[in-house]
Amino acid sequence: MPFGWFYRIALRLWLLGLPCLGYSAPDDDAAFTNPSLRAYFLEEVWAKVGERSCLKCHHPAGDAEDSRFILKDPMRLPAAERPAAHRANHKIFARMAGMKKKGKSLLLQKAVGELEHEGEQVVKPGSTGYRILEWFLLSPPPSYTPDYSPPPYFSDIEMLSAARLLRRVSLSLVGRLPTPGESRLVADRDMDGLMQVLDGMMRDDAFYDRLSEGFNDIFLLMGQDGVAERIAGYRNFGDTRMWYQKRKFEHIEDEKARKRAGWSLADDYRVSILREPFELIDYIVRNERPFTELVTADYIMVSPYTARGYGIFEELKERFKDPEDFLEFVPARLKALTLRTGKPDQVTPTGMYPHAGLLTTFHYLQRYPTTDTNRNRLRTRKFYEHFLGIDLMALAPRVTDAAAVDAKYAIPTMEAPDCVVCHRLVDPVAGLFRDYQNTSNDNGPYGPREEGWFTDMFGPGFEGEDLPEADRWRSLQWLGRITAKDPRFAIAMVEHVYYILTGRKVLPAPEDIEDPLFGSRRRAYQEQRRWIEAIARDFAGNNFNLKVVFKDLVRSPFYRADGLSTVATHPRRQAELDDLGVVHLLTPEQLGRKISAIFGEPWGRFNDQLKILYGGIDSRAVTERLQDPSGAMGAVQRILSNDVACKHVARDFALPASERILFPGIEVDVVPGANEAADENIRRAIVHLHERILGRMDAVGDPEVERAFHLFDGIVREAQARGRDKIAPIESYHCKSSGQDGPRDKDPHYTIRAWRAVVTYLLRQHEFLYE
Amino acid sequence: MRREFLKLCSMAGLGLSVPVGRSAQAGPGKEPDLYEGPYYIVLNASGGWDTTYLMDPKGIDGINRLYQEGDIQSQGPHTFAPTATQIEAGMSNEDFYQAYGDELLVLNGLDYSVNNHSPCSRYMATGKLDSLAFPTFAALVAACKGPSCPLAFMTFGNYSNTGNLVPMARVPYPQSLKLLANADGVQGNPKAPYHDDFVNERIERALQEQMDSRLSRARLPRMERAQSMLYAAQINSKTLKRVAPYIADKIPKQRLATQAEIALSSFKAGVAVSANLSIGQFDSHANNDRDQMKLIPEFLAGIDYVMKRSEALGIREKLVVVIQSEMGRTPTYNKGEGKDHWSIGSIMFMGQGIRGKRVLGATDEKQFLIPIHPESLAKDPEKGIRVRPEHIHTALREHAGIADHPFSKRFPLKVPETELLKGLWG
Repeated sequence: MPFGWFYRIALRLWLLGLPCLGYSAPDDDAAFTNPSLRAYFLEEVWAKVGERSCLKCHHPAGDAEDSRFILKDPMRLPAAERPAAHRANHKIFARMAGMKKKGKSLLLQKAVGELEHEGEQVVKPGSTGYRILEWFLLSPPPSYTPDYSPPPYFSDIEMLSAARLLRRVSLSLVGRLPTPGESRLVADRDMDGLMQVLDGMMRDDAFYDRLSEGFNDIFLLMGQDGVAERIAGYRNFGDTRMWYQKRKFEHIEDEKARKRAGWSLADDYRVSILREPFELIDYIVRNERPFTELVTADYIMVSPYTARGYGIFEELKERFKDPEDFLEFVPARLKALTLRTGKPDQVTPTGMYPHAGLLTTFHYLQRYPTTDTNRNRLRTRKFYEHFLGIDLMALAPRVTDAAAVDAKYAIPTMEAPDCVVCHRLVDPVAGLFRDYQNTSNDNGPYGPREEGWFTDMFGPGFEGEDLPEADRWRSLQWLGRITAKDPRFAIAMVEHVYYILTGRKVLPAPEDIEDPLFGSRRRAYQEQRRWIEAIARDFAGNNFNLKVVFKDLVRSPFYRADGLSTVATHPRRQAELDDLGVVHLLTPEQLGRKISAIFGEPWGRFNDQLKILYGGIDSRAVTERLQDPSGAMGAVQRILSNDVACKHVARDFALPASERILFPGIEVDVVPGANEAADENIRRAIVHLHERILGRMDAVGDPEVERAFHLFDGIVREAQARGRDKIAPIESYHCKSSGQDGPRDKDPHYTIRAWRAVVTYLLRQHEFLYE
Repeated sequence: MRREFLKLCSMAGLGLSVPVGRSAQAGPGKEPDLYEGPYYIVLNASGGWDTTYLMDPKGIDGINRLYQEGDIQSQGPHTFAPTATQIEAGMSNEDFYQAYGDELLVLNGLDYSVNNHSPCSRYMATGKLDSLAFPTFAALVAACKGPSCPLAFMTFGNYSNTGNLVPMARVPYPQSLKLLANADGVQGNPKAPYHDDFVNERIERALQEQMDSRLSRARLPRMERAQSMLYAAQINSKTLKRVAPYIADKIPKQRLATQAEIALSSFKAGVAVSANLSIGQFDSHANNDRDQMKLIPEFLAGIDYVMKRSEALGIREKLVVVIQSEMGRTPTYNKGEGKDHWSIGSIMFMGQGIRGKRVLGATDEKQFLIPIHPESLAKDPEKGIRVRPEHIHTALREHAGIADHPFSKRFPLKVPETELLKGLWG
């Protein structure tokens, strides 16, 4: 326990009857200048009780805004203002501690839910939190000395050089190795050069493919139910959405070919439909429009194919360069929805569909459907998660007897305090989606309930603000506009980019105050939080240009941290650094791109089955990527390393040296031990492989180069020792350079196979399989 | 050095009881030992089952439209809803209880405390409502008992957090196991190895030497963990070849049976400790009776497959089976003939060390929980406790013999001594 000795002293005083309750209010400010008391307040009272429990309601905009116990949230303030906020909070705590009722401290009584505390019990009597408050009340206050003095957070952390950062960024964002020009720029201008390169990469189509993939991990919009054309519902687009079926391909004589052309058209159309929301993201980011358009855009992106599905192709066709390119997208607006009969289904003052970025896309609404019992609450949960970065279900409050509450109240969600606490937040937002209450998947999401919106729910609005009647027809536009102004939006978007770059979510706030490492975990959380919030401010200050977030995160120490200069031995230091460093197991898609980048062509075996085995997702049933490799994934790694090496080694040697990517500087007749020059040549070949496959910039004498050399050397020598009667002088049939029908490669010295072993060995390494 | 490293890992809470040291000590590429049981299966009826159509029948006050109180069936101490005449496929309650009543321990009146899918699923899987960090029981027991198994913790759905203790394995099809079984053979063919054996040995040795050399270097904790887990995953994956002989020639098509086939063949091969099996769509807000009558029989048929197939594989005696859902359904029907979420439900157990033919706890005629006395386990409305997932999980940890394992202690459930369910397992 960090305050174990303090606990013992305090307990002893307690037992001797020395302490008395009654914090001396007049001295509170002076107390805060006492390092011991300040440390105790910040690390125990504030970190474990105030911030976690009291601050939830006792802040200027909180449920307890009318009370006299109003606290400041230092984490929401600039660093320079935090000490004053802490001091103010201490003063308020001290004042409350000094106030008594019936001889007992108000602070303790309120905390345990007495004296009509509206927040009810937030600290259980006898719990760690309660004891912390008790000790805070001891007078005279005992001395408190923390058992750990943390160094500056990033001290002893080695950062990736700009050159290595370039490789990481390049593979991560555009799926290729850096070009010589990019490498030169970074060599010349270091981080400034890297930012310049990054600007260029963020104009590359490959970056937008990566962006789509990353945002699909978050929004899961590729996981639609059924065929994609159902996204545009029958109710409103029944006459147009199947336009492809009317194409007869009469110019194709062969019937089978005609059928195939029809299938191909349908496939392309479906791809085009599914791409629409990602094209919106692409359009916003590529054109450096404010990313708030994710929830405010008054347009959607349509292709010539999807425009036909919506029945708006004729009015748009002049805007397409190629009306048959299913991957060409332009912004467009839909008119207010009509029924198939042509009668109005949706009445709007503008005559247009009230687009609000993703919020009103049929894709988003269909991916997160509703029912008459769910009443858009799933959509609300997703709205908070996706656009404000809040998991409403993360810490559900326990109810003493939820079933009894259900039975006791006619409308528990509006009457039972246990339910109201969440439903007051959730149900108004759910009401904003009320025009999209169609529960039939094939009919599309649009369709208000015939009976009108539910009256046994809090009315439409957002966090205390009711939806104005004038905005009733565009309620999601109203929500989008509010969301765009909410500081949590910018933070949530930074968190999304953090996920795309690192493959994992930002740290959650630590929960267990009894954890001896709580303080360290809190520090790690707060350090990361400060960066995230600073980047969010920069993002907002740059007109919500998402590219700024990528650049800020790439140059942040969280992305660049690569090692330690000295071993961290203190458990608290280890806990502080536990999550630091990207160290991300590449996804199947990333690994596939990396293989293409390094070997010049894809592996070709990452089919759906192998993707799921390797921790991938299908965006519907499997929605979370695996972070740690199981034995199944270890087996896939072995298959991959064996197979990729098999495919490329003999083939590379068969090329003229100048065309080789793996072995440009060595031939198969260079045998280890022949002479010093041969060994030097082999070592240099390994250095090249290390750079190409692992991104390591090793010297010839590096121990890792030496280890690979010994592997190569040992294999060649052992093969020779075994003799030709046991070892064939030709490469494996399966790994020959000439393809299926060609001859097997001669390998009299066993060097091709030894090099294949070296490549296999490298492909199984952390530096290749992780980012 | 390695000993120190492993010690450090466990101190820092790293998921590394995986055999970095052990396999290295045994020699390069040496396969870890077989895990010989017990094996743990958690079967989950995802979405919220209607317990009144299974183990907690009512038949009164309109709670059930398909039967009345007088229709309730019994088998020894068990009472259950009659379903034989209602179902079109799967296994009826009558057949299920006849086959397994003697082995079955039922606890009615389990308090899920809230009634939303997400927190309830988390709570039922981990025993902890208000934390996103806790591991599921299946993951915890796998980490404690078989960390070197390549598929120690398998999941086919449901909440599956590992607490960073053990990797989670997803194997979607039985054929996938065959593919993985011979990773060193071209297209999985053991007769067509990519490398000669001596080459494979040298590759493994080089990787081991590299791993050893890294132990002494200053690395970020996350890097240490990743490198060790990667090494262990590759080494341990070699044991997957043991699975192939146990995969049934004819793969069943039913959802649970397919999952069970993968899990059970992995258990038999000694490469797995636990598995989450799950089927969904129990969330019957509309047409409750139709949906539950389709899904409960499918679920029971899946359990039946688990038991019969494990018998055929000779591991039934080593199986521990937990049968659960994340919530129950209201005692009343809504306007759409459905039933909504209800925070009171039931849980069932079978297998090694569990005395069956017992029903503990109860709900009253309105489907409210009746508390039980934690020592006698008898109904005790006055002084009894409301049994919640943390009580069940504490008992499960005790049953598995992992209550005092450092991993369990890292995720304490903090059930007071006075609330421990004494003699739950009989």
